[in-house]
Amino acid sequence: MILLVGATLVALQAPAQGIDPRLERLDSITRPIVTALVDSARGAALPTEPLVQRALEGATKRAPADRIVAAVRRLAIDLGHARDALGPTASPTELGAAAAALRAGAHPATLTELRRIRRESLTVPLAVLTDLVGSGVPVDSAAAAVLSLAAKTRDADLVEFRRAVERDIALGAPPASATAAAAAVTAEATAVQVNAGARQQRPGRP
Amino acid sequence: MFEPDEELIGRVVRQLRRPVTVDAGLDARVMEQIARWPARRTGGLRATWRWIIRPRTIRLSPLGALAIAAVFVAVVLWRPDRPSSPASARAFGFVVVAPRAATVSLVGDFNDWDAARTPMQRTRKDESVWTAVIPLTPGRYRYAFLVDGVAWLADPAAPAARDDEFGAPSSVVTVGGS
Repeated sequence: MILLVGATLVALQAPAQGIDPRLERLDSITRPIVTALVDSARGAALPTEPLVQRALEGATKRAPADRIVAAVRRLAIDLGHARDALGPTASPTELGAAAAALRAGAHPATLTELRRIRRESLTVPLAVLTDLVGSGVPVDSAAAAVLSLAAKTRDADLVEFRRAVERDIALGAPPASATAAAAAVTAEATAVQVNAGARQQRPGRP
Repeated sequence: MFEPDEELIGRVVRQLRRPVTVDAGLDARVMEQIARWPARRTGGLRATWRWIIRPRTIRLSPLGALAIAAVFVAVVLWRPDRPSSPASARAFGFVVVAPRAATVSLVGDFNDWDAARTPMQRTRKDESVWTAVIPLTPGRYRYAFLVDGVAWLADPAAPAARDDEFGAPSSVVTVGGS
């Protein structure tokens, strides 16, 4: 038992002391700072993989050390805000998507409301929200559309909704109008799918 | 008191010494009868349950304790947030048109931004089109194409990464679970 307790303590300490071998790709100035940020995030029970990947992206793109450190630090802060909005049960992928949504301008209350209304993973709704804003849709319009669809719409249909909005914007539609129209179509299609599912589950008649 | 009867003892001894002939089919008949008996499933379960709940003292050598501790450490060190390739991974195809490129790599969150990990292949029909197919688990990934090891290209068919802080464009792909 003593050994087990000791091993647990060693294991809990090990990640804080060990350096992720992938971070060896960073230069000698960046590496210790990023390692400290990663350790700090781990200590706060935040996902560390997005931080490592952001640092590796910077290294591969030959970004200067200060940019890499700033990007990793900013992402760590966003992940913390994302966890505050989504709650402690949020998965690492949800937190990553939520951090991107917050960075895009989404309000934390939108994330909290999404958590409340959707049982499934929030990764795709949050990603769609971020991508819509990136396409020029005002953040309030994007948030309203995603919130209206999130409760009943599958991931695949949310992605298709985003594609429809982007297609209409590319054809010249105003972003907010394109979003509202595509949301209405998607909601209608989802309702039809739900009804079709209900019919399929109904017992047959002789 | 019991008086030994020599004659009776002699008869018993003779009877015991008489060779016994066993029917050749006896074994087969016995086994056939055993096979007909219903299996005692509940008894087996009960016995297993009793065996499980019975308190017992376990003795471990220091080596055995270390082995268990090593397994425990491995479990604790396992990082669930690190992408792996579980059964939920789906194949995703990436395509880019780069007519003058000699090499194109797909680089992103899914391969540690390692340009050597996922080289793209020219299609046979059109040599200017490069493709790569990789398994992705549900999540949101940033990625880009690296042309000839120097030029970064975002995916024109995918949403752009907004928080592009490194001066080179990236795209995002989102993999859903439902």
